[in-house]
Formats: sequence, C-alpha cells, structure tokens
Amino acid sequence: MAMSLAIKSRSGFMMIFIVVAVTISSIFIIFPEGISAQKEEKAFVTHTGGVVNTSGEVLDPVYQVSEVEFDPEKYLREFNYGRVSQLESGQTVREFTIIADDDQVQEISPGVFYNVWTFNGTVPGPTIRATEGDLLRINFINNGDKPHTMHFHGEHPAEMDGVFEIVGANGGQFTYEFEAGPVGVHPYHCHVMPLEEHIAHGLYGVFIVDPKEGRPPADEMVMVLNGFDTDFDTENNFYAANSIPFYYQHHPIQIKKDELVRVYVVNMVEFDPINNLHLHGNLYQYYPTGTDIVPSEFTDMITLSQTERGIMEFKYQYPGKYLFHAHKVEFSEKGWVGIFLVQDDEQKNVEEVDYGT
Amino acid sequence: MELSDNTSKGKVIASGIIPFAFVIIMMAYIFGPGADLLDLGIPLPEITIEKVDFLESEIQATVRNTGPMSVEVVMADVNDRIHPAAIEPDGHLERYETALVRIPFEWNEAEPYIIGITVDDGTRFEKEVEAAAPALQPTLDLAIFFAIIGTYVGIIPVMIGLLWLPFIKKISKSKYHFFLALTAGLLLFLAIDSIEEAIEVSDESLAGSFNGMLLVATAVVLSFLGLYYSGEKLVQRASSSKLAKPVAIALMISIGIGLHNFGEGLAIGAAVGMGSIAFSTFLIVGFALHNTTEGIAIAAPMSKGKLMIGKLAAMGMIAGAPAIFGAWVGGFVYSPFTSVIFLSIGAGAIFQVIIVLMKWLREEGDRNLSSASVASGFAVGMLVMYLTSILV
Repeated sequence: MAMSLAIKSRSGFMMIFIVVAVTISSIFIIFPEGISAQKEEKAFVTHTGGVVNTSGEVLDPVYQVSEVEFDPEKYLREFNYGRVSQLESGQTVREFTIIADDDQVQEISPGVFYNVWTFNGTVPGPTIRATEGDLLRINFINNGDKPHTMHFHGEHPAEMDGVFEIVGANGGQFTYEFEAGPVGVHPYHCHVMPLEEHIAHGLYGVFIVDPKEGRPPADEMVMVLNGFDTDFDTENNFYAANSIPFYYQHHPIQIKKDELVRVYVVNMVEFDPINNLHLHGNLYQYYPTGTDIVPSEFTDMITLSQTERGIMEFKYQYPGKYLFHAHKVEFSEKGWVGIFLVQDDEQKNVEEVDYGT
Repeated sequence: MELSDNTSKGKVIASGIIPFAFVIIMMAYIFGPGADLLDLGIPLPEITIEKVDFLESEIQATVRNTGPMSVEVVMADVNDRIHPAAIEPDGHLERYETALVRIPFEWNEAEPYIIGITVDDGTRFEKEVEAAAPALQPTLDLAIFFAIIGTYVGIIPVMIGLLWLPFIKKISKSKYHFFLALTAGLLLFLAIDSIEEAIEVSDESLAGSFNGMLLVATAVVLSFLGLYYSGEKLVQRASSSKLAKPVAIALMISIGIGLHNFGEGLAIGAAVGMGSIAFSTFLIVGFALHNTTEGIAIAAPMSKGKLMIGKLAAMGMIAGAPAIFGAWVGGFVYSPFTSVIFLSIGAGAIFQVIIVLMKWLREEGDRNLSSASVASGFAVGMLVMYLTSILV
C-alpha cells in the first residue's frame, strides 16, 4: 500500500514536471522572440518593383525623400567664382574664403550620422572656378580641432602646395595665392597626415580652370564620386555621386533634349582602387583631366583611379529616364546611382514620370 | 534577560542591514544626479542578428540590441548591398529589445548569404548563413515528419536498449556493477556533450553580453541542484520499499536522458530548418545508434527489481519522446537562447543522475568504487559513446 502511494506521488511528480516543461516550451513556441502578430500598415517598393506592407518602420535609403543637411541638387550646378577684382596689369583676381571644420555630424544617408570634416560646411567643399591665368587668393581658416591644409592639383609654387605649410587647429590661417592653371578639372583636398583619414572624412572639392576662350555653352554640372566608411573598417559603407547615396535616383537630374550637357567628374573615392561612370542610352565625349579641347574617347564607360578626373559631354536625342552609375555594381548598389530625366519640352514635369511606377 | 535578547536580535538585524545601506549609498553616489565620476569612455552600439529566416521572396532577420545603450536600426543589406527593408515593430531598440527586419529579396536556395544591419552611427553588423533554405512552416505534415524522426532517434533506440534488461538481470553481481558503471560513463559523456553543444550555440548566436559560458554554468548548476533536491525526496519516499528504489533511480535517469534527448531533437530540428538535410540524415543515424546505449542506462538499475514492463515502457517514453518535442521546437521556433537553456538543463539533470548512480553503486558494491568492474565499466561507457558519437 505504501509503495503504491509512493509510486502515485512519483507519477504526480512526473506529471508536474511534464506540465511545467510543456508550458515553458509552448511559451517559446507562441512568443519565439516576443513578437506578436500585428496588422499591416505601411507599404514600400522593393528593388524589383514589388510592394511590401509592414506594420513597422520602413528602412529605405532608396525611395524615401532624404532630408539631409547637404543638398546635392544645389551642389550639382553651383560654381563659385570668388570676389572678383582686377590688378593694374589687367589680371583678374579671384578671392575665396574657405573654412575647414572637423566636428560636424551630418546625416549622410537617412538615419546614418557621420562625423564629416568639411570645407565651408559641406562634403564636397565648394566648387572653385576660375579662368586660366586668373590670380587666385584663397584665405584659408582652420576652425577644426586638427591641423588642416588645402592642397590644389595644378601648377603653383612649392610653398602654395599645402603640404609642408601646416595650418594649425582652432583658427590657424593661411593664404594660398597662385595663378589658375592649367586648363581642366582638378581636385583640391587637405594634405595633412594621416592623409587617408582626412580625405575619407570629406576634406576635398573641385577646382575648375576654364580656357580663356571658354567652352561651348552647355548645361554644366559637377559630380564628385565619393564614399563614406562609417564603421572605419577601411571599406566604404556608402558610395555616391555628390555624397548622398541614391540621391539622384529619387531626385532625377533634369536636362533638356538635344542640349549639350557637360559634367565635370572627379573621383575622390578612398580605399577602392577604381571607380567608374557608365551612362545609359548614350555615349559621351571624354576629355581626360579636361586639359585638352579634343576628346580622347567617345564611350559610355570610363574608369577612374584615385583623384583621376575628366570632362564628359553628351546630348540626349530621346526624352525619358536614363540611369548613370558605377559599373562596379557594388558601388551602385551602395548608392552611386542616379537618373538623368531628359525632357522634351517644358510642359512635362517630374510627377508624370515618377520613378518606380 | 528578555531585554538583552531583544537588543541582540536588533543588533543582528542592524548588522545585516548596515552593509546593504552602504551599498545603496555607494550606488546613489556613483549613478546619482550630477555624479560624473564614472562617466568615462564612449559606449559603442552593438546589435546581434540572432536568427535569419528565408521566406518566399523575403529574408527575415531577428535582431537584438545587445549593447550598452539604445540604438536605431536604419539600414539593411544582403551580401553588403543595400536593400529597402522594413523593421517591426520599429527601428528603435532599447537594451535587449528585439525586432524583426524584413528584407524583400529573391534569394536562391543553397547559396550563402551575409545579412548586414546598419545602426545610426554607421556601424554595420552582419551574420552569415552558409546555405539559404526555406524557413519551415509549421504544417501538420512537417510536424508528423518531425515526430517520426523523433521516434526513430529517441523512442525506438531507447526501447531497443531496454531489451538488454533480461540479459543484465541474469549476470553476476560484479558484471552488474560493470553495467551500472557503464551507465554512469555513458551519462557523463552525454552531459559533457550537452555542455559543449550549449557553449557552441551560445558562441555562434548569442551576444557576448549574455555571458554564454556563465549562462551555461548557471543553468547546469541550478538544474543539478533542483533535480538533486527533488530526487533525494523521491528516493527517501521510495526507500520504504527495496523494490522501489531502483525504479526511482531509473525514473531519474529517464528524466535526465529525456532532457538530453530534447536537446538532440533541437539539434536535428534546427539542422533540418537550416537546410542541412544531408547533415541531419547523419545526425539521425548517429543519434539512433548513440541512443540505444541510453536504454541500457535505464535498464541497468531496473534489473534489480521485478520485471515491470509497463513501467519500463513508460520510462522509455519519458527518455525518448522529448526528442520529438525537441525536433518541433528546433525546426519551427528555433531560438538560440532557448536551446542553450535546454541543453544546460539537460546536462545538469544528467550530472544529478550520475551522482545518484555513483551513490547507489557505492552502497551496492560494499563501499568500493575502485573495483575493476566499476572502473572498466565507466571507461567503456565513455569509449562507446565517443565511438558512436563519431557517427553524428
């Protein structure tokens, strides 16, 4: 009798044990990660055009309208000619003030905040434009916490090279003075060691020297091909034309049919040995470094190494949307992709050809 | 007299509380308002991608904030290529909070993928999946499939092992001790195996902040203590009858083995879930052979009493059936944290069974644990398990 009682209580123990085990396990079955079913609310478009609904938030650097601090729309066609005066000799003087900073944190892609180092508050810095032979006077002020300089590609005296004349932090000043030349499109950037760090953080910009006789009229724009290594693993997390990934994909660059377009392209990507630019539905005349007036190539694909640059000229015969992007597809899938919207006449506007429809 | 008693009581209470009071004051001083004494260093965000599921035209990643501060999840990528995605319920993750990232993506079966998640400061975290396979949907067919596998791996081998009972019953005392020691050896191997597996899972899929190793240790010890305590109670009650004690021990062995087999079921279910079908076929064959020995472990103590087929079968079920349950959990709702916990509980349970067995063996064997039969039994037990484990 006592035994059967003991056995009964043992099986009771077992039952309790099993019940507890089942209960615990079923909790994990029902709430594997504490996520419960919710109703669908928002929708977003996938890369292949599908529409997906979600009850949560959309993580989409492609189709959201960026509200980033730097405006690639404005930067694209903004050329700075400086404060112009004339010497007695008749030489034109162009004076610029450039202020370096290294403590800003900007939203470089929706939701991603990165410490950019800037010339005049933006990455890339302002596009400096002059005519060959003009005297450039650049008042450089370093408001950063680190030493910085401005190093221009082009022809100038050694002491204007911005390499050995380190400009100290917190208010250091230097005036770069030299004659603009040669004709072409050149980069300028900080040349303080560690150089890769100073460039990768954003201390660069474009310097255009026009020929005295000028170039044929065109719709001109600047594209700096750059990237950001936001997690400091010496690989870029984002690529772009003019800093903001995917920007010109959801804000297509509007151009006119049959109008000459001239793009000053400068490759400032760090870490990756090459970059390139492929144009859809068209080919461009390519002027390497912009130093010659005769194009070297008529192509839709040019590969650029570090600080390699050139001028691309093209006209579109047919209206519509045309992609331009790195044909190193990794770069384009990380943001270096855009669209030219070729308009037939002025009646058509963007809404009619909205992307993704 | 009474008065001094009260005061001494008060003193005891006070002396117990005073150190606590100082701890609280210290905490208040360190963390209190305006205290920037320890405000040094820069906290770095950390998230862990605990699980990746491949659904129809979609990849789902379960992310957990395992860093020291809250983060915003802002971007998802597949193979380091940015893709539009959604995060549910939202991108803001407090410490230890989880969210589900849904990335619409036409993935290809059996190809490797790296899923990356970027947080607001631009730091990217990734998880590699060796071969994409469709996430298992909890359909009835699949549930039945897992039940069959669980039966093959758990119930049938254990039942076969139990068939050695008549054999063990007929052998001499020293040979019997050999088999009891063999059982202990088998179990020790299983316990170590479970711990190894638990540590492996925690290394692979649990964030460092869970202190995987210590989590395993804690769960093992707690499970051991819990079962040791309740097991002692069980044996005490059972000791009123000589017949019942072997049954009690066999029952405890069954429970311990059952918990262990639950872990094996998890491994099989997870292997099927992760698409390594060939791998799981090996697992199934290996576990089946391996688990036959578990039947011996139950049969050995039971051989002392009357032959109770019903009880024996019930114990076989207790030991074997959890494999089915484990396969369901592992296949349908795999969670690394749950797996680590279950594997550790299983290890603790087995350690407890080993202690009980050794105690019993010591009593049975005239307080001698160093006899040739015990030593060789233990060694053979480990060896057999090791050799069959090569098959897994």
